[in-house]
Amino acid sequence: MDYTYFPGCSVKGLNKSYEISALSASKVLGVNLLELNDWNCCGATAYMSIYELRAHILAARNLALAEKYNRDIATICPACYVVLDKTNRYICENKELRENVNAALGEINLKYYGSLKVRHLLDIIVNDVGEEAVKSKVTAPLKGLKVAPYYGCQTVRPFGAFDDKENPQTMEQLLRWIGAEPVKFPLKAKCCGGMQRVTNEEAALKLIERLLKAASRSGADCIATACPLCQMNLEASQDRVNSIFGTHYSMPTLYFTQLLGLAFGRPIESEVALGQELVAVDKIIEPYKVSVIKRER
Amino acid sequence: MVEERIGVYICHCGTNIAGTVNVQEVTEFASKLKGVVVAREYKYMCSDPGQDLIKKDIRECGLNRIVVSSCSPLMHEQTFRRVLNETGLNPYLFQMANIREQDSWVTEDSKAATEKAKRLVAAAVRRVSHHEPLEIKTFSVNPNTLVVGGGIAGIEAALRVADSGKKVYLVEKEPTIGGHMAQFDKTFPTLDCAACILTPKMSLVGSNPNIELLAYSEIEGFSGFAGNFKVKIRKKARYVDPEKCTACGECLNVCPVEVPSEFDLGLGLRKAIYMPFPQAVPHTFLISKKETPPCKLACPIHQDVQGYLALIAEGKFKEAYQLIRKTNPLPAVCGRVCYHPCENVCNRRYVDEPLSIAALKRFAADQVDVEEIEIPSITKNGKKVAIIGSGPAGLTTAHDLALMGYDVTIFEAASEPGGMLRMGIPAYRLPRDILSKDIGYIEKLGVQIKTNVKVGKQIRFKELKKKYQAIFLAAGAQRSVSLRIPGEDSEGVIPGLDFLRRVNMGEKVQLGRRVVVVGGGNTAIDAARVAVRLGSSTTILYRRSREEMPASKEEVHAAEMEGVKLTFLVAPKRIIAEKGRISKVECIRMELGPPDASGRRRPIPIEGSEFTIEVDNLIAAIGQTPDLEFVKEIGLELSPAGTLKVDEATLATNLEGVFAGGDVVTGPATVIDAMAAGRKAAQSIDRYLKGEPLAPTPEEVKAPREPSEEQIAEFRERFPVQERIEPQVAEPSARIKDFSEVVRGYDIERAKSEADRCMDCGICSECLECVKACDLEAINHEMKDEVMEIDVGAVIVATGFDVFDPSIARQYGYRVYDNVVTSLEFERMCNASGPTGGKITLKNGEAPKSIAILHCVGSRDENYHEYCSRICCMQSMKFAHLVREKLPDAKVYELYIDIRAFGKGYEEFYKRVMNEEVIFIRGKGAEVTDFAETPEEEGKLIVVCEDTLLGVVRRIPVDMVILSVALEPRKDSDKIAKTFLLSRSRDGFFLERHPKLAPVSTANDGIYIAGACQGPKDIPDSVAQGGAAAAEALSLIDRGKVEVEPDIAVVDENLCSACRVCIRACPFNAIEFDEEKEVAVVQETLCKACGVCVAACPSSAIKQQGFTDKQIYAEVEGILAT
Repeated sequence: MDYTYFPGCSVKGLNKSYEISALSASKVLGVNLLELNDWNCCGATAYMSIYELRAHILAARNLALAEKYNRDIATICPACYVVLDKTNRYICENKELRENVNAALGEINLKYYGSLKVRHLLDIIVNDVGEEAVKSKVTAPLKGLKVAPYYGCQTVRPFGAFDDKENPQTMEQLLRWIGAEPVKFPLKAKCCGGMQRVTNEEAALKLIERLLKAASRSGADCIATACPLCQMNLEASQDRVNSIFGTHYSMPTLYFTQLLGLAFGRPIESEVALGQELVAVDKIIEPYKVSVIKRER
Repeated sequence: MVEERIGVYICHCGTNIAGTVNVQEVTEFASKLKGVVVAREYKYMCSDPGQDLIKKDIRECGLNRIVVSSCSPLMHEQTFRRVLNETGLNPYLFQMANIREQDSWVTEDSKAATEKAKRLVAAAVRRVSHHEPLEIKTFSVNPNTLVVGGGIAGIEAALRVADSGKKVYLVEKEPTIGGHMAQFDKTFPTLDCAACILTPKMSLVGSNPNIELLAYSEIEGFSGFAGNFKVKIRKKARYVDPEKCTACGECLNVCPVEVPSEFDLGLGLRKAIYMPFPQAVPHTFLISKKETPPCKLACPIHQDVQGYLALIAEGKFKEAYQLIRKTNPLPAVCGRVCYHPCENVCNRRYVDEPLSIAALKRFAADQVDVEEIEIPSITKNGKKVAIIGSGPAGLTTAHDLALMGYDVTIFEAASEPGGMLRMGIPAYRLPRDILSKDIGYIEKLGVQIKTNVKVGKQIRFKELKKKYQAIFLAAGAQRSVSLRIPGEDSEGVIPGLDFLRRVNMGEKVQLGRRVVVVGGGNTAIDAARVAVRLGSSTTILYRRSREEMPASKEEVHAAEMEGVKLTFLVAPKRIIAEKGRISKVECIRMELGPPDASGRRRPIPIEGSEFTIEVDNLIAAIGQTPDLEFVKEIGLELSPAGTLKVDEATLATNLEGVFAGGDVVTGPATVIDAMAAGRKAAQSIDRYLKGEPLAPTPEEVKAPREPSEEQIAEFRERFPVQERIEPQVAEPSARIKDFSEVVRGYDIERAKSEADRCMDCGICSECLECVKACDLEAINHEMKDEVMEIDVGAVIVATGFDVFDPSIARQYGYRVYDNVVTSLEFERMCNASGPTGGKITLKNGEAPKSIAILHCVGSRDENYHEYCSRICCMQSMKFAHLVREKLPDAKVYELYIDIRAFGKGYEEFYKRVMNEEVIFIRGKGAEVTDFAETPEEEGKLIVVCEDTLLGVVRRIPVDMVILSVALEPRKDSDKIAKTFLLSRSRDGFFLERHPKLAPVSTANDGIYIAGACQGPKDIPDSVAQGGAAAAEALSLIDRGKVEVEPDIAVVDENLCSACRVCIRACPFNAIEFDEEKEVAVVQETLCKACGVCVAACPSSAIKQQGFTDKQIYAEVEGILAT
């Protein structure tokens, strides 16, 4: 299974562990993520609301570059996913926009015909790879690990391309396949505060505190996310939340791909990319360390 | 041809046309067109002065063709045709140019609009030159009316028509009339109770001699034209005769099946025999049956499984046993040894595990002493039948024939009856006394069993043929298949069946310490378990793997528990004997190759893998064949497999009067399959001896159907996981000591709980307890649907609405949280005869302290329905009022977008509710969640909304949420629309002829619509429409005749090439073929003037009057000419 992989900026920097674990888990599952050559920033959500056309052009350059490969585009960052998907859809539906965008792309001798599909890795693993193949790769089922499945706001919204917008289920499914126990997490598609964490801390912390409360109340051992920004907001803000709200959260927040890596018995540091957390994950990875070490030897 | 003299009239339509189109310019243009004698413009052409203008010109200028350029023909074509008619011109010498809807209303630029108007006028003028006078045909009108739908609109329509003395057929799909209104509690704004105002009308319908009420019926076919419709109606079987039923309710007390009540929206339960609600009309019970449950279909003798399970669950064990006996002559036997194909298909397997059906049958049998069962009185018919073999096939045939009155004699070669039941099945599975009792009952029916009589030895077959009028051969498959390996004749090698027979018939059999059993079927397992009981250490050798074993899984498991070792993929190759007695077996290992004829993978020996094991005995149980020594001499035909050859449908052999069935025909099979064959034989023999044709009327063979995804989801929702309760079993260590029964069965409580797991797939379990309870003999489970055909002149469609299912709008938490209910559910809750007796309660039975009512759930929402459902505001405020009345301490929130209180007395009601301390919040409910953010929210449902008056997002903690859900078109709207050729508007409701001026008429003459099927509406409007539709129907009927538009298709017989393409093309079956003249003929009353045949005809032999090619080409030329 070959896909054109669009990494996005955040997983190349602060959120490296997402990319490392995603590439490793994909490899195990036979998903070939072939990185797009010369990709540029997707524009993220902010640019789209300020300069819509320019944002579409920015995103469309990536689509145009990818089109010659005739493969679905795979993303792991939901912001990249939403922006590329949105541009792709709008360009196909709106002739005027398509002409404007292509006029701009024409300046660098590119043109986008609208033949691609933009996908998120979660969608690819659950719907293309499927239950049987995932289960067959599990060597260390995450038995007894209670996980709060957290989609954030952009993985299924606004289009709901692969799951229900209000009550998505894909991550729960995947967690069950690898032996973990997804808990009932009512805020699974609610906002983490996003970039407000930087511009309006008070507003963001309120939302983050709410999510942490929901997760710990649900009895989860950790939160699983599919988004670098969610991961950062939830993990890095816990000290701040605790000091402002007088709480004592210590909730490990992992990428779903890291949980896959654990279940597939991949090397903890080099492939599951654990070890640099701000909230300790020792407790949850303890049982797997042993089996992993054995395997590595 | 008379020279055409055309008059053109351009209408201003006030400013509707003249505001955009320069009418003077168009008139000027028109006056210069070819053939136009006069062209005029006028403010309102349709008004009296306008019409007079045309009349005057016709008379004075001698006009013979008229063009009016104004609005849509839908609006005024008839008006102007009348003008022509009144002045003596044929009304079809007229053409209308629509310059309003198709021009002035949709064109902004005045110049362009004027130009377009000119073209349209030119087209009409050219066209009208080719018009020919057409003749309107009239037909008489059938005075009967059909009303479809028995809600309040349909009831009103039916009563109004019937009161005029005309006959009405009222067809209602549900078992009672009343519709949704019957489910409501109070009605807004007057707060009368819905039942109080509706039920008197319902009973009027029931008692009106002019109304023929066809409840629980559906329209199946519809054809014809206004005034002369033909309708086919299916009256579904109620299984209760309304003429006899007095609705006493005795049947309710005995019915063991409870299912969710549709009328109460699943909030309460009802019996399988039921009346939807106490005031139902017709006031009579009915039984709901779904398709035959899979267990019954899968059972070779089709036992009423669901019936006896329901009776066991109710504690009616004797009744259960009697029900089993109706179809099964060996209940105690089958309860123990049947391989229960019923359990394999049980729908409960999709929820948790199948019911333990066989063991429950045994439980029922255990509760009854067969010896005390009454013997039915039998009238003998004097005819004699001989049966050879007393196994399950022979016993079943004997039982059935004895009950029919035949003299039956069974000839059994062994010393005791039972065949393989006795000789093959060991006592620990089927105790001897149990078997004897079941056989004893058959003997009590008058069946004679002669043991120790082997046909061909003690008695000649020819003798039997002479003495008996028919013979049934059911001798079984008694001969063990040999291994065909060297050394097989050594001492200590025993054929499996011989071994079992000897042990089972009480012989003392000595085995050595180490025993090997070869084979993977039930006989092998039986032999191994017997060997264990005789004290040997036993190993089974099977040449394939566990998956391919034909033995039943339970038996294999039981054997392993008892210490039998299983060795797979091994076959014996040679038996090594010492002094003539077996000492070792040489075996070879196998691997599985591709599948063979049986579908199982073929074992292939692995060369060089031979090994030997030391044994004292080897039991070969690799198969059995019939012992057919005696049949050869009498000329019975055999199949290539060495079994008897019979006709599959009748079980007749090639010899007249001789039938055969069971293992002797099929080779070794199961008890229940043999019994099914026995039953079939009994029926064949009966037909044969009565001189009827042997072949039975072919019955539709129904296989159990896999449930759909939706059905499975419904099962899972309705039935929580509940583990299967297994019967008690003796400990393995204890049970291998002797031959006492291993399975000990159920105690009463466990049996009842297990039987209670049955999901009542067929709804009615056909236990027939109601039949016994009904003294009036009103119940008949054999009742069939009836199809009737009626003629009517007018049709009123009043099929109502469905309510929106909010579970797809997940944000509202419907079916996720217990206390989120829909408006209709809340109506039932408030209703004094509803599931809670009128109490507003939470799921846990407590009264809610706070309730939020969410408006516009599913309506005014682009994701679901764009339209306003019109009743929700008022209904929601009515709920608020009811809550305040019933629970004065409860807080009530109304979350609304706008309040629409448009009807008479509605605004006043709004004011009244506002003064009842109801909290109104302007904002649509966005989400319902149970995630508490503050201590006050703990344990509550929190409604999130934006209060648009305060401009803040609010979280409102409440105990209960009522979703005021949209009204939407009924799910079967499409079918109804197709049946009555109705159009539907964009929202899916049926389309009226005109939204203001013809709200109950449709584009189809003679078919009217009323009530919510046309769009969401409240009760007063529905009633008004019902009355209006009745008036329309009556005006058609009273007119007595109907004119049929002449724009139908006609066939030119000279051109018709008899290819019949048109007949296939016609969507209305309006074209027939005249065999004599060899031409197609259009039946003018059925033709709907669609024109499909005209296009289809390869010889251009069909033309549509008023739409000839000439006319259309002229029109096109007119548009294109500049």
